[in-house]
Amino acid sequence: MTGIPVSDIKKIIVACDAGMGSSVMLAGTLKRQLKNTGVIVEHAQVSAIPADADLILTQQSLAERARAAAPGKPVVTFQIFLGDPAVNKVVKAVKEGGTIDV
Amino acid sequence: MSSMAYTPAPTGTGLKATVQKFGSFLASMVMPNIGAFIAWGLITALFIPTGWIPSNSLGQLVTPMITYLLPMLIGYTGGRIVHGQRGAVIGAIATMGVVVGASVPMFLGAMIVGPLAAWVLKQFDKLTADRLRAGFEMLVDNFSLGIIGGAFAVLGKWAIGPAVNHVTNWAGTGVNWVLNHHLLPFVSILIEPAKVLFLNNAINHGVLDPLAVAQSAAHHKSILFMLESNPGPGLGILCAYLLFGPRSLRPTVPGAIVIEFLGGIHEIYFPYILMKPRLILAAIAGGFAGVSVFSITGAGLVASPSPGSIFAYLTETPRGSYFGVLAGVVVAAAVSFVVASVLLGFGRGEKAEEVEESDDVDDAGDGAAVPAQSSPEGATA
Repeated sequence: MTGIPVSDIKKIIVACDAGMGSSVMLAGTLKRQLKNTGVIVEHAQVSAIPADADLILTQQSLAERARAAAPGKPVVTFQIFLGDPAVNKVVKAVKEGGTIDV
Repeated sequence: MSSMAYTPAPTGTGLKATVQKFGSFLASMVMPNIGAFIAWGLITALFIPTGWIPSNSLGQLVTPMITYLLPMLIGYTGGRIVHGQRGAVIGAIATMGVVVGASVPMFLGAMIVGPLAAWVLKQFDKLTADRLRAGFEMLVDNFSLGIIGGAFAVLGKWAIGPAVNHVTNWAGTGVNWVLNHHLLPFVSILIEPAKVLFLNNAINHGVLDPLAVAQSAAHHKSILFMLESNPGPGLGILCAYLLFGPRSLRPTVPGAIVIEFLGGIHEIYFPYILMKPRLILAAIAGGFAGVSVFSITGAGLVASPSPGSIFAYLTETPRGSYFGVLAGVVVAAAVSFVVASVLLGFGRGEKAEEVEESDDVDDAGDGAAVPAQSSPEGATA
């Protein structure tokens, strides 16, 4: 377990296979939740993760590809697309400060 | 731990990731262009002689769009993935070579020559990158693209096009054989498990769309559009989860149902199956039943319903197929609901099961309770 300080996170990328469906949905939800925090949330195709991403969120089944596409970047994986504790933890940490375990 | 501590070095040998990646490459040539497929599908459904408002003049749009526009968009997009804007342009030129004079819609050909031509141009650009005298960049850039692109168009017309034409015809013959022998429902045995491993786009848009469009061009509808995209099985499984699934997960299910069935984002139900892998049997049974109904009633859609929402289904159903399409969706949902409910033991003994289950879940980390796990180990284990 390594924790990264929330202050290091400027941009969160939500990645899915096509970058058109589930990632857009989750990124939209997170954008609303993190509205006034100054953290940018974007969606991307898991094989084309932007270089300026500070944190990547993706479904567990796609984690291997996310790590291959963005070596060295912290990846937080989740299982379900609605109300997953891993995602909630990230939101809470960004809002309240602290570290994110990855 | 080193600075790389939170990201284990990517091995790149994981079979699942490799298959996902290749499939995703194929799908990503098609998916950005689905809007164009839908435009073509709607124009076809409306204006062909058997359509809603037949029109000779507007019907003229149908053939050029499927023959030229759609393959060239795919070749263009495939080229862009490999080599940016220059790759996109050469991909379109190369696709023209396989398209002209072909007797089938050249989707497969476009998916081959688009990225291939872009790759060759990319190698040329790399080779010349640091060797150009200042002021000659534009001249070399434009003529390299023009000459290599022109050569690919000729090569496409002479060699690649005819070869792919044969392959497409064989594939079409194979599909017809499967259809004529009523074996199509058995395809669900392969499709449903692959789907929940996030190969859904690869299968639907990488493999089935090109075959389906060829059928749709000839018969103005295809059942192949509905093999992967049927929202019925996912709906049935989610409903079973709502009633009989692990209690901790039930509150998330209504939202998931709306997103899956109405919004068409099927990914939302995959995790619920991955957490209880035996439910894949329910997905297979639902898919099998749905395809059987589609097959018996001769149902088909005019274009790729993407995302796989019931609204996309209703919009892309041709005149005369409504009963078959709706029946297939409803039957698939009902069958997968019943099978999933049985597999979930109608909610009985749920607590005891959760413990036992968590051991044989390969991909999903923790068994049934909402997973608290966010560590990297889960997915690569």
